[in-house]
Amino acid sequence: MDGPKNQPSVPSRTAHPTTETAAASTAAPELAALLTHEDVDRARDRWQVAHARRKGRRAAKFGGLRVLWLLVGPGILVFLGENDAPSMLSYSADGARFGIGFFIPFVVLTFVMGFIVQEMTVRLGAVTHRGHAELIFDRFGKFWGFFSMGDLVLGNFLTLITEFIGVRAGLGFFGIRPIVAVGGTLVIVAAAITTGRYWTWERITLALAIFNGLFIPAAILARPDWHAVGNALVTWMPLPRGNHYEILVLILATIGATVTPWMLFFQQSAVVDKGMQPRDITAGRADTLIGALLASVFAIATILATAPLFHHGIDASQFQGAEFAQALEPWIGHVGAALFALGIFEAGIVAAIAISTSSAYAFGEVLQTGHSLNRPLRDAWPFYLTLLGSAAAAATLVLLPHFPLEFIVLTVNVIAVLAMPPALAFLLLLVNDREVMGEHVNGMWANVAGITVTVLLIIAGIGFGVATVFPKLLGGQG
Amino acid sequence: MSQELNPNYPDSTGSEAAHDPLVGHAVKPHLEDPRIVLSLLEADQVVAAKERMRFGPRQLSRGVRAMLWGLRVYVVIMMVLVLISVLRAVHLAH
Repeated sequence: MDGPKNQPSVPSRTAHPTTETAAASTAAPELAALLTHEDVDRARDRWQVAHARRKGRRAAKFGGLRVLWLLVGPGILVFLGENDAPSMLSYSADGARFGIGFFIPFVVLTFVMGFIVQEMTVRLGAVTHRGHAELIFDRFGKFWGFFSMGDLVLGNFLTLITEFIGVRAGLGFFGIRPIVAVGGTLVIVAAAITTGRYWTWERITLALAIFNGLFIPAAILARPDWHAVGNALVTWMPLPRGNHYEILVLILATIGATVTPWMLFFQQSAVVDKGMQPRDITAGRADTLIGALLASVFAIATILATAPLFHHGIDASQFQGAEFAQALEPWIGHVGAALFALGIFEAGIVAAIAISTSSAYAFGEVLQTGHSLNRPLRDAWPFYLTLLGSAAAAATLVLLPHFPLEFIVLTVNVIAVLAMPPALAFLLLLVNDREVMGEHVNGMWANVAGITVTVLLIIAGIGFGVATVFPKLLGGQG
Repeated sequence: MSQELNPNYPDSTGSEAAHDPLVGHAVKPHLEDPRIVLSLLEADQVVAAKERMRFGPRQLSRGVRAMLWGLRVYVVIMMVLVLISVLRAVHLAH
């Protein structure tokens, strides 16, 4: 069932190769005849990086910034993509129900956890030039590979549905009809991939993602008590009070707003598609750190923007996107509420692009068909079909009358947390595999951090399990 | 961040175009020349090379198998519990 029996009979790499160029390899003449459009586009991106490094060495000042500018992307996209509609709604719920307190430093902690995990995918992608799904299938076999894909497909599809719920709710604030909002989003997802170029796709999506910052002016308009914010960051006080079961679910949803399986698959595949190499790992780390920092600031801004609902005793337990914006209007004004609604719309649209791309990468890697945004449509139609098909299916479900949207919004982040420990186990096994990683295997502290994150997620999951089986134990409704 | 992003820090591997006579000082890359494309990519970064060379399977020890099975059972149980909790919430809401 496990291991070698299910493997394809292709030559296997038993040890990690050197970082020699393809031109220097013994197979160079043969490879030259087999070059694809994807290779040429990737080489163009690599030339830009090499050129920037060369110029940087001559100009000294700001040369490193140009290199960083060229190499950032996957890390920022993965974190701003994960600041998606259900995540922003989780943060909104944290602020509306508990105000300024425990959840502010807790959100920072979840992004530290996210950074620890995502940094490993940068190394895996840059060293192996393989996506996450491909590596799991190659190293652990089809049996474990399909389990892993099952978790990813279920989680991604449910999350995609919630992104379109967010889009619908965000634009609903402006009176835009659901079919126009959802259909328009689908057109934007399709437009982003028609470029046939990873670089262009990445920059378009980054430009959209930066609008996640709309929550900052919304937070400023809420006039938060900065002293209380500083105090909360240092002391984690006040702790949330009330129904312990609901608090536990919110804690789980908040973790699930930052650490989820699709992020592992997406960032590693994007690093590969971008053509990053081992020497780019430091820039990849910087990219991931910038993404985590930006996303945590925007997440905290969301909590601050909805904190007035807590201070004025508004019951936000049943709120979704548009309801939050409408309820906030008396305290942050129409402009603030409109920014908040636009932020939810933006969160949905960027995540819809990133998550559908993550599914398409994984399918392409498993089916061993073309799976690069550098490929033209005709060369990689199964890849693009998966990408658009998954988005279209999720969009259609959101438009169906009586579809249990509430059911999905309630569960999607919790499912993400519960599915994470096996994904982390595969990640840690891969990143400690010297045959795969060579000298870039995890160090002791990276392993301690990775195992700690995994154990924390398991403990949170077990806590949720106990509270579900024995609801009265934590004061839940039995 | 320091060394790799520092433009004054020389490439440790010397494997990219920076030291390649084909592209080293070019203003624009001549990517119609396959040699230049190959000089910019690592050996296992070329699609054709990746397709023919795959990582082989690793031997899973008993401990690793037990851990993977344990985590799989954990996920299945948790998904059942999620279903129970959602059904309960929906039931209460109606």
